[in-house]
Amino acid sequence: MNLDSFFKEVGQHPLLSKEQEVQLAQAIEAGDKFARDKMIQSNLRLAISIAKQYNKSGCALEDLIQESTIGLMEAVDRFDWRRGFKFSTYACWWIKQSVRRHVTSNASMIRLPNHARTVLWQANQLRKDYIESFGTEPTLEEIAGVLGIGANTLRSLKKSAGNMISLDATVGSSGDDSRKLYEVIPDESDTVLDRLMKSDMQQAVRSAFALLSHREEKVIRLRFGITASDNDDKNFPITKSELKKLEDRTNANA
Amino acid sequence: MPMPKGYTSKFGYATVSGDSGCLTYREIAENMTADGEKINHSTARNIFLRAMRKIANHVVVDYPDCDTDQIAEDPRFQSAVQELATEIYDI
Repeated sequence: MNLDSFFKEVGQHPLLSKEQEVQLAQAIEAGDKFARDKMIQSNLRLAISIAKQYNKSGCALEDLIQESTIGLMEAVDRFDWRRGFKFSTYACWWIKQSVRRHVTSNASMIRLPNHARTVLWQANQLRKDYIESFGTEPTLEEIAGVLGIGANTLRSLKKSAGNMISLDATVGSSGDDSRKLYEVIPDESDTVLDRLMKSDMQQAVRSAFALLSHREEKVIRLRFGITASDNDDKNFPITKSELKKLEDRTNANA
Repeated sequence: MPMPKGYTSKFGYATVSGDSGCLTYREIAENMTADGEKINHSTARNIFLRAMRKIANHVVVDYPDCDTDQIAEDPRFQSAVQELATEIYDI
């Protein structure tokens, strides 16, 4: 059954009046299963309506509706008609609680604990207030300072709460022949051929350096900023005083 | 009479002064002169280019049609040699 037909079916159950709710609640208390089913079916619209409010949370609507229905069933079982409230007033809290719990656990690949979500929410509110007051974006350090947490902690939390993208997701037009994301991300590491060529070139340059005179070698070394270590006299002969001069000059330029 | 326009490298000029520890030709000349080998910045440049030509001649041995003088002056070649030399000597 798809969602549309489910919505149609739910729409066929009429809403209950307060008196009907009390009658059904009394029957449920007496152990009437049909009354329980009727109470649930008549309030499914409420469950769907609340589930739709969380549609942008990153969870599938089908899952949200399922969770809100579980919350609705919990509310039906716990409803006390003697208190005199309408069922929907009582049920919406159970439904919301059930949906929120599901969203918190499943909205992201990385599950964040509740206190971390609270910190992120506070940071977001603070950011909005700051922009409204000063017209500019606050820095991460400023937000972290106000919240009394470290900047690195906040950075890490934001990173963890970021949206996940599947590498198998299609790029551009949808269809079976469209390319996947992993196909268009370039691999910037050296290939085996690149590494072989680099190794060859290193060998060639190494042997070419052996052909240079002492003066040429020294000029190249100075030009390229290649300082020799104390025990590298073979490759780049240099005295300690030369090395010190070069280091002094480098430090002065820095 | 206008001044001759002179040579302009196709790929710009190799400049290393911004890199850490790299010296300009004038600084190289000062350094060498302080060490008792009196040269000026032009000589430093000539020595550097001669060394580059030697390296270019050696590495393009499989490509006889290449103009090694042009390659030696190419800033891309010079920066490639710098990168390889730095890796070779693990600076």
